[in-house]
Amino acid sequence: MPGIPLVARETSSYSRSTDQMCREDSRVHLSAEEEIAAEESLSVYCKPVELYNILQRRAVRNPLFLQRCLSYQIQEKRRRRIQITISLSGAVNEGLQAQFPFPLYILLGRLVSDAAVAEYSAVYRFSRACILTNFTGVEGSTQVQANFILPEINKLALKAKSGSLAILLINFAGNQNSLRGTDLTKARLGVTSIPSNEGGYCLWGKIPLESLCMSWEKSPCLSLGQRAEFTYPVDMQSCFLKLSCLNKDKCVSIQMPFNSGTSNTTQQVHITISAEEFGVKDKSPYDSYTCSDISSSSLSRIIRLRAGNVVFNYRYYNNKLQRTEVTEDFSCPFCLVKCASFKGLRYHLPSSHDLFNFEFWVTEEYQAVNVSVKTDIWRSEVVADGVDPKQQTFFFWSKRRRHRRMKNLGQHSKHVQPLVLESNLPPEACQLLDGGNDLQSVSIGVGEFAQNVPSTFNVEGVANAGAQSYTDPECVQSVSGNNLAAPAMLQFAKTRKLSVERSDPRNRTLLQKRQFFHSHRAQPMAWEQVTSDRDSEDEVDDDVADLEDRRMLDDFVDVTKDEKQMMHMWNSFVRKQRVLADGHIPWACEAFTKLHGDALVQAPALAWCWRLFMIKLWNHGLLDARTMNNCNVLLEQYQKQDCDQMRS
Amino acid sequence: MDKQASGDTVTGANVRRMARTAIGCEPLVGSQTPSKKRDYRVTNKLQEGKRPLYAVVFNFIDSRYFNVFATVGGNRVTVYQCLEGGVIAALQSYVDEDKDESFYTVSWACNVDGTPFLVAGGINGIIRVIDVSNEKLHKSFVGHGDSINEIRTQPLKPSLVVSASKDESVRLWNVHTGICILIFAGAGGHRNEVLSVDFHPSDIYRIASCGMDNTVKIWSMKEFWTYVEKSFTWTDLPSKFPTKYVQFPVFIASVHSNYVDCNRWLGDFILSKSVDNEIVLWEPKMKEQSPGEGTADILQKYPVPECDIWFIKFSCDFHYNAAAIGNREGKIYVWELQSSPPTLIARLSHAHSRSPIRQTAMSFDGSTILSCCEDGAIWRWDAVSTS
Repeated sequence: MPGIPLVARETSSYSRSTDQMCREDSRVHLSAEEEIAAEESLSVYCKPVELYNILQRRAVRNPLFLQRCLSYQIQEKRRRRIQITISLSGAVNEGLQAQFPFPLYILLGRLVSDAAVAEYSAVYRFSRACILTNFTGVEGSTQVQANFILPEINKLALKAKSGSLAILLINFAGNQNSLRGTDLTKARLGVTSIPSNEGGYCLWGKIPLESLCMSWEKSPCLSLGQRAEFTYPVDMQSCFLKLSCLNKDKCVSIQMPFNSGTSNTTQQVHITISAEEFGVKDKSPYDSYTCSDISSSSLSRIIRLRAGNVVFNYRYYNNKLQRTEVTEDFSCPFCLVKCASFKGLRYHLPSSHDLFNFEFWVTEEYQAVNVSVKTDIWRSEVVADGVDPKQQTFFFWSKRRRHRRMKNLGQHSKHVQPLVLESNLPPEACQLLDGGNDLQSVSIGVGEFAQNVPSTFNVEGVANAGAQSYTDPECVQSVSGNNLAAPAMLQFAKTRKLSVERSDPRNRTLLQKRQFFHSHRAQPMAWEQVTSDRDSEDEVDDDVADLEDRRMLDDFVDVTKDEKQMMHMWNSFVRKQRVLADGHIPWACEAFTKLHGDALVQAPALAWCWRLFMIKLWNHGLLDARTMNNCNVLLEQYQKQDCDQMRS
Repeated sequence: MDKQASGDTVTGANVRRMARTAIGCEPLVGSQTPSKKRDYRVTNKLQEGKRPLYAVVFNFIDSRYFNVFATVGGNRVTVYQCLEGGVIAALQSYVDEDKDESFYTVSWACNVDGTPFLVAGGINGIIRVIDVSNEKLHKSFVGHGDSINEIRTQPLKPSLVVSASKDESVRLWNVHTGICILIFAGAGGHRNEVLSVDFHPSDIYRIASCGMDNTVKIWSMKEFWTYVEKSFTWTDLPSKFPTKYVQFPVFIASVHSNYVDCNRWLGDFILSKSVDNEIVLWEPKMKEQSPGEGTADILQKYPVPECDIWFIKFSCDFHYNAAAIGNREGKIYVWELQSSPPTLIARLSHAHSRSPIRQTAMSFDGSTILSCCEDGAIWRWDAVSTS
């Protein structure tokens, strides 16, 4: 192989010229014959590509798990949200720092209810606290700003209108109290080390999100995708604060002292909040270029510049030649599925298109995949040689997913329910908890999205969202629709020969329209007859078989008429009852006796033929004496019946 | 289908056959000198088109229409009426939607209530049943795997038609219900195209067929007659009807040594012709004990000079008194069938009739003879009283 696989690539890739990576067979010069041979060898791609097109059609309504994961990732990446960065406004707070000791805790809290816990004036629920310090901490880092992620502005504005969301600033250092040293950031779910009745005095201040939203909405910067920065003065008041844990969430309860009005501990802090919207598909200036006005050399450079572009090199003609194409958005070139990242592509390609070999290359400049056909195995897996796959019919039956979706939804809610019931909380608290769900999912993702790795902290949130993307039919629809409708191919990539029209549904309609004929009678069949369960293909025509049997027996000259009759009866019986094995004989003899009992009794010569035949069977060890006896007893019974009828 | 010439040119040398004839039992060969019992004159000539006409047939099914006949050629079926004074009046014409269809055969039949039908078939293998009374296509029968060479109607039950096909099968159809009742093919069936088939005039169970495997086979549907009866009352889908295969004929005769392209029952005897310039009348002698075996006793021969290409068929009048057959040169030989030795009634020739005559049609009483030619012409000959 001319290429170097990914592992080796890490060290040697820098010396390779990019032109070599994206060449269009310019290096190899071929004779006319060789070119024809090369074209032919390129056609080995056709069948696998066609197969994958068919598979892709099938998977439209029922995407693979991997695809669902990847589309969820893309969706999450695109979700609009606002990141806010909170820091102390340096210029204003310059003088304050001496009398305003750090650390300052910043929480995004939701007002639970004033009435719920009567003795406190306000209870806020929060899930994460950020700490601001101005000194070098134990870990050697200085934390001067806190980051939070909020939902997009429209949703946020709706939520904020209720007035219950606020940014809280808490400072213990101002007061000498028992709570000093309690680290709010470390207060964790289920940790009981913090006594619920512990409390202390501190300074606190709040910025209602409502006011933030209003200023953001007014500001043109945010809507244009730029950073919006505002400075707010916050009044810090002293209060009694109590920390508690409610099931999953932490709560701070704040009690204003009765003499709050006359309190002289009020300080003013200036906070800078800068907000930026994320998740909108980043528009690159190259999105709207056309092929014609850019030279091909600069084009390839531009293509490489874009983050989601992946170069695919299709090797053929014994790996001597290659065709190159580029896809956008980490799309798979075979099924056009967007794979969110190069890693996603690395998982998707081998798992979904295992008829090809893939080599993955990553450098700082570009990502590339070398593709070659697994020549040894695909023949058996695709259709036989010389068979046009378009003529083949592929059936795919799948029950509608709705039912299962419902079930999943049910399972999910079941999964959540016990958690709530298990907590030893008063019912009011449970209700509060349910009410607070929204904020929970808002605040859960804080700072965590950048890594895309779910920590233990936001497991719930991810599960929730995952279930959503799975259970919401519209979501699945739109994702799969995207795969088909928006081909991520670049302009020049469309001209490739590998793209094969998708003919599966057309074939199906043709199949339904065409006339079917009965395989025995050659008569046209109604569609209902074609699709009915009944299949008479391998049925034996008993009448004709009987006729032929009789004709065959008629040829015997040394056999009496009764013997022929007996033979015919037995042959006919054996054929109709499909007596095939030696083990069937005892049953067959009894059944035969019952079936033809009357006829045998009425023609004693015939009955004797039957008895002789049974003896013959017994001679050959096919019939046991007991069964033979049973048969004769049966015959006697028929005889008796016959006599009774004669008499009466 | 190239009906111009058979595989090998036949001369008098290989006319000798396998039928063992005892001394004094040689077949009687008719004299080729016309007896002048009856004289025919051309009264009309009709050029239907350029395409060859393969069949012409009078309606013997319905006495009201004895003077009505039909021709087929190309994708066209035409109905005419013979009027006094040699006049031929065109009544109806049907054109198949497929212009590549080439009809080879046509037969008159009728519904159970007596509505006259025309049953035509040809290269497409589709049998078209035309309701002549309201000029509509009544039914189309598919099933034959290749072209249809002859269709005949059971005169005792004119709703039953039998078709002979290139697919080596003979099929029995009920035109009333559109059911394929029986298929005569299989282990004992023909081994090449079936060219001709005919119903026995009185034994309703019996048919004779012949074809390119040089044999004439006689079939019995006695054991299958319940299915024939069932077909008249069948109301379900035709494809659900228990169509039966009749695999073994009751008699196989090797009377000819080349393609047998026409056979007709004359009572219990059979008239058949190959490319040997003669029609042969023979008696099938079946062995009671062993069906399928037997001997053919050749009774008489009716020489027809210049009749050595295949797909030339003869026709008889209603009572089988006479048979008319055309030849390669456009001449017609009219033989008295039931006289011994056979007598040639007339030899009809015309200076302008030079094209091969594929089939003739004798009217009910034999007074009119029609011939249809390779060049698409219909000739009408009428008997002139020799007073």
